[in-house]
Amino acid sequence: MTDSVHAESGTAPGAAEAPSTEGTDLGVVFGPGSPAVSDESGTAPVQLLTPEGERREHPDYSFDLDDEVIKGFYRDLVLTRRIDAEATALQRHGELGIWAQLLGQEAAQIGSGRAMGPQDFVFPTYREHGVAWCRGVDPLHLLGLFRGVDQGGWDPNENNFALYTIVIGAQTLHATGYAMGMQRDGVVGSGDPDKDAAVVAYFGDGATSQGDVNEAFIWASVFNAPVVFFCQNNQWAISEPIERQSRIPLYQRAHGFGFPGVRVDGNDVLACYAVTQAALRRAREGSGPTFVEAYTYRMGAHTTTDDPTRYRLSEDLEHWKLKDPIARVKAYLVRGGLADDAFFAGIEQEAEAMGEHLREGCRALPDPSPLSIFDQVFVEQTPELAAQKEQFAAYLASFEGAH
Amino acid sequence: MNAAVSTDELTDWLRMMTLIRGFEERVKNLFSQGLVRGTTHLATGQEAVAVGASAALQPDDWVLGTYRGHHHALARGMSPASAFAEILGRSTGVCRGKGGSMHLTDVSHGVMGSYAIVGAHLPIAVGCAWSSKIQDLGRVAVCFFGDGTTTIGAFHEAVNLAAVWKLPAIFVCENNRYSEYTPIDQVSPVAHAAADRAAGYGIPGVVIDGNDVAAIRDAVDVAADRARRGAGPTIVEAETYRHGGHSRADPATYRPEQEVEHWLQRDPVAAVRRQLEATAEPGRAEQVETEASDQLDRALEEALAAPEPDLSTLTDDVYARAL
Ligand SMILES: Cc1ncc(C[n+]2csc(CCOP(=O)(O)OP(=O)(O)O)c2C)c(N)n1
Ligand SMILES: Cc1ncc(C[n+]2csc(CCOP(=O)(O)OP(=O)(O)O)c2C)c(N)n1
Ligand SMILES: [Mg+2]
Ligand SMILES: [Mg+2]
Repeated sequence: MTDSVHAESGTAPGAAEAPSTEGTDLGVVFGPGSPAVSDESGTAPVQLLTPEGERREHPDYSFDLDDEVIKGFYRDLVLTRRIDAEATALQRHGELGIWAQLLGQEAAQIGSGRAMGPQDFVFPTYREHGVAWCRGVDPLHLLGLFRGVDQGGWDPNENNFALYTIVIGAQTLHATGYAMGMQRDGVVGSGDPDKDAAVVAYFGDGATSQGDVNEAFIWASVFNAPVVFFCQNNQWAISEPIERQSRIPLYQRAHGFGFPGVRVDGNDVLACYAVTQAALRRAREGSGPTFVEAYTYRMGAHTTTDDPTRYRLSEDLEHWKLKDPIARVKAYLVRGGLADDAFFAGIEQEAEAMGEHLREGCRALPDPSPLSIFDQVFVEQTPELAAQKEQFAAYLASFEGAH
Repeated sequence: MNAAVSTDELTDWLRMMTLIRGFEERVKNLFSQGLVRGTTHLATGQEAVAVGASAALQPDDWVLGTYRGHHHALARGMSPASAFAEILGRSTGVCRGKGGSMHLTDVSHGVMGSYAIVGAHLPIAVGCAWSSKIQDLGRVAVCFFGDGTTTIGAFHEAVNLAAVWKLPAIFVCENNRYSEYTPIDQVSPVAHAAADRAAGYGIPGVVIDGNDVAAIRDAVDVAADRARRGAGPTIVEAETYRHGGHSRADPATYRPEQEVEHWLQRDPVAAVRRQLEATAEPGRAEQVETEASDQLDRALEEALAAPEPDLSTLTDDVYARAL
């Protein structure tokens, strides 16, 4: 990328300077002396646990919690993957309309999800099943949404976990607005660690091309809003590869907006935890947003209606399987003798029970009354909607007795 | 780079700068006399950006401007009579009198429109650049926009796509320090609202003195060369100032007096005039100014004599082909 140079800000004619007589030396601006924007190859993500299950040190980030916590992560990862697998199977059996798989992204979600405190607030996409799990949302609620029996049946305020957002990137604006609200509520930078809060906005690599996300960056940056922009770069926006979304590594996008960006190994639960926690700390203390790029891979399809074999190579998938986010934690635990067979069997059992809970619970979810679509549009019903509801009720009643 | 500027070039520049300045003075009068309804946005003080950029372009290159766009259109060669007529709502106007001050368009001079929706034209410029690329036309698309426009999502979508597809586009930000009444440093997270963002897209960004015609010409020249080579877009941020308010109704009292004074001292038209006087024979500058003024008077007279569009043409020109 030899053309990718960036102006030195020193070339700007400041307001206080005399009118320039010679003009700007464009050789300085465009020439080889300017710092080049680095390319993909030179950007190793933060990693604290290798795919082989070995711990690594990093100069800026560390994971200091004990192995019991890592065992807890392991449980989260396995159960999350099970939720995903069960939901996918339920869709295949016709019990769900659609499902967006998170396969391969468990570590990014559990690492970041577990880094949050109860006072923090999450704005997810449609794929954040692992984060939902960390926040304590019953996975059955997620199934309800994809079964089409509710509009996302959980109360966002109960777990500080907003509703799933399908409109790509829109939630980054909601997140920024919510974070600015936190500032105004005085829960940012107060110095009280139990009180200070932040927002985590989840989005994908594809979403970075969206204007809304750019507007969220601007606002968060200008107003120093406590937002962690957590981007799971799973390499694909449906069938569009990341190479077609950006000319630079995504985390560097933040530099154009005046806040830090960091790339983390998105398949390393420890690194995702450490990096998110650092970003959250920054946000809570009032130092503004951070862009976290979790470098990962969508091992499954975009959704259950998608067939990725039509647009990507199976070698890629094989390559990423070697970096599996769960296998490396297991390797670490086994190698260090930190967990025995009984531990793994116990989690397997829990996963089985989870599967059953979902299979039975999903089929038992009641179908909603058609009239309920009018109920949760506004906090207070508007006369227009009330009238529409009445009309619709009359229409439905006209079928009564008819076959 | 920074090729010496010839007396002929300086003459052309002063002619065009004076023409734009005089054109807008007359426009202002037309509005204050109530001859035109609505509002207008003058580029007084920003003429150098349009003139400098045009000096670097080929006749078949494209430019897209904003509601503050008289200077872009005139610098590309739009006839002042048709521009006046457009603003006056006459049938001889460039849009047959149905576009007005904010929508000057003249495809024959590569003026692919002026746009009143902030940021809306950046994706359109990218479309032009894409069409040049896929048809191998060798044309570049220059998009002029304001500092405030960098906060709109369309800016991001356009610049990113142009960067990814390496399109022959040049994004010229006229940073006049304000978007309406808001100082840009209150809403931009970076010092140079446009140029500093370039790093986030992997393209060059350059900050230049927007009141220096030669500096702009040189920057656009390099950017156009880069674009034509297939190396992709560039952001050029020209630091400048509007002498007047945002629009006709704005007395611009929100700006510090010294700031205004500072920039009035750096009037780009006066600067070119001084440069010309330093190299040309005495009297050349006055002659250029008189000619421009006469040309404008004739143009305005012609426009005022032209008829208003017939009501029957109301629905013409909405689509390329009538429905
Ligand atoms: C505004 C908008 N445009 C398009 C779509 C269709 N769409 C659904 S998912 C998707 C891809 C998003 O990719 P990415 O942001 O990488 O997230 P991922 O699905 O990989 O998690 C698109 C384009 C949409 N939902 N919303
Ligand atoms: C999408 C949109 N939002 C708001 C406006 C109202 N508006 C007109 S001009 C303007 C300021 C734009 O500032 P800047 O981009 O710096 O251009 P300048 O007027 O300084 O040339 C605004 C907000 C608009 N026309 N379009
Ligand atoms: Mg993606
Ligand atoms: Mg402006």
